[in-house]
Amino acid sequence: MTTHAGETRSRIMQAGIHIALAAGAVFMLLPFWLMLRTSFTAPDQIFSGNVLTLTHFSLDNYARVFAEVPLLRYYLNGFVVVGTIFLGQVVICVPAAYALSRLRFAGRELGLWIVLAAMMVPYHATAIPIYVLLSQFGLINTHGALILPFIGSAFSVFLLRQFFLSIPQSVFESARLDGASPYRILIHIVFPMARPAIITFGILSFVSHWNDYFWPSFVLRNDFAATVPFGIVRFLDQELGADYGPQMAAATLTVLPLLIGFLIAQRQLIAGIAMSSGQVD
Amino acid sequence: MSVSPASVLRPITMPRVGFAPLVAPYVLVAPLLGLIFIFAILPAALALFLTFFETDILAGTMRFVGTANFARAADRGNVLNSLRVTFLYTVLTVPPSMILGLSIALAINGLRRGRMFWQAVYFLPVAATLVAMSIVWRWMFVGRKGIIDQTFGQAIGLTDWLNSPVLSLPAVAIVGNWQQIGFVVILYLAALTAVPRHLLEAARVDGAGAWSRFWHVTWPSIGPTTVFVGIITSVDALRVFDTISTMTGGGPSRSSQTLAHLMWERGIYFFDIGGGSVVTLVLLALALAATAVQRLLTARLERAGTR
Repeated sequence: MTTHAGETRSRIMQAGIHIALAAGAVFMLLPFWLMLRTSFTAPDQIFSGNVLTLTHFSLDNYARVFAEVPLLRYYLNGFVVVGTIFLGQVVICVPAAYALSRLRFAGRELGLWIVLAAMMVPYHATAIPIYVLLSQFGLINTHGALILPFIGSAFSVFLLRQFFLSIPQSVFESARLDGASPYRILIHIVFPMARPAIITFGILSFVSHWNDYFWPSFVLRNDFAATVPFGIVRFLDQELGADYGPQMAAATLTVLPLLIGFLIAQRQLIAGIAMSSGQVD
Repeated sequence: MSVSPASVLRPITMPRVGFAPLVAPYVLVAPLLGLIFIFAILPAALALFLTFFETDILAGTMRFVGTANFARAADRGNVLNSLRVTFLYTVLTVPPSMILGLSIALAINGLRRGRMFWQAVYFLPVAATLVAMSIVWRWMFVGRKGIIDQTFGQAIGLTDWLNSPVLSLPAVAIVGNWQQIGFVVILYLAALTAVPRHLLEAARVDGAGAWSRFWHVTWPSIGPTTVFVGIITSVDALRVFDTISTMTGGGPSRSSQTLAHLMWERGIYFFDIGGGSVVTLVLLALALAATAVQRLLTARLERAGTR
């Protein structure tokens, strides 16, 4: 009898938690709904009637954005930048992380120390000196300016190193005893084994660089190499002062690829963030 | 195709110690260290150097000006103003998103069903492109016609937030909270799964109530996460830029101009590299201080944990 009452009470508790979470979710999701609703509403109907319901469906706002914004180029730039950063990070960081965690050599401690020191200098803080360097190399307004500063990622090295340290040394050792050269070990053992860690930092890297607005604002002054966020905002501020319909359509098109990606790779992304946080210190 | 018996029966030999294994580590590490040097260590040093010069980035010339950049920054008072705004923004975002994030994490953690679903819902703003969502929030905050002014703002008598020197920063802080709560939730959820279950059970058997179990078992064991979340959200407050830049542009009259935005305005918008570098030094000092505080607190927690 008491267990039955306990069961009922716990069911009410569970329902209460769901209701509370749903109430909070209204605040979290409202901006997304307003964005979609406004973007699909006929331009002359945006301010009429209830601002929450979609009554006059129209694709005019999207038609205008596609007609006036070089959106395709922004997407292409975004994929080129994010893809190159990721490839560069894999090629540079995986071997370095392997050497720093599993090879013995004079100067390893110093190397590790430099990586840790670099993690304490956020690139947001040093944006101006990096801008000066890039402009000396003639890279302002190019894809290179968006890519080069992020390839030698101390954070990725740290993440990968923790991962390699969790693999028994005997795995690497046996290959070495078979006479495999360090480079063969790297290609045939280290890279395949590091795949989960590479996927984790790959997702984190993709999200942060696809979304980045800060860095393009520092190193781009025109939209030649503009990624989606920078290109869209630049366009909005210059062309669409108070045209909220096209603005919301542009915002939707910016957010869309990542939201789709998030729905697909939700588990990995969340696990990656939880995992990386435990290892930053 | 036959396998030659010689290769199968090859005796196990000692590994060859040749030139390659000795050089390999350096070959593998060098590119990374080179990039880190150019894009992390050199810039930090360069920042200090640049503050003493007037740099014309377009003409490519530099002129030594002593401490004139610092004097100018002090004169205008913008750096001090931005320090104040950044501090205020930190106060408006860090404690609220930590308290709300922990509450939501506790709620989700107490669920039997639907944990992944709610986790995803609250995480959505973290994954969404912040600058695009800032444009949406700007539209929500628009004077008179925006949804905030038409509902909530009207009800409490506070309207046209983005054009008010008092309300512009809170408006941006609301978006900051909205965006990072999901992140805090994820970190706390990860920490909550690591809370020793047997301790919670033991406390329950001893008749400890829900609050007492939280306070004496859960809270101490998520201590390191609390420190980490506090530091990381504070550092995020140091670099808040996307929302400020699209929603208020730092205004009205610099009432919402954080350090990161001031740095951009001086160094990039006004081409004043020296002045921007002064702000850079302030940001670097604060970031390093945050790391130091984190080290100190974490070390203390670890000592307390192993006592």
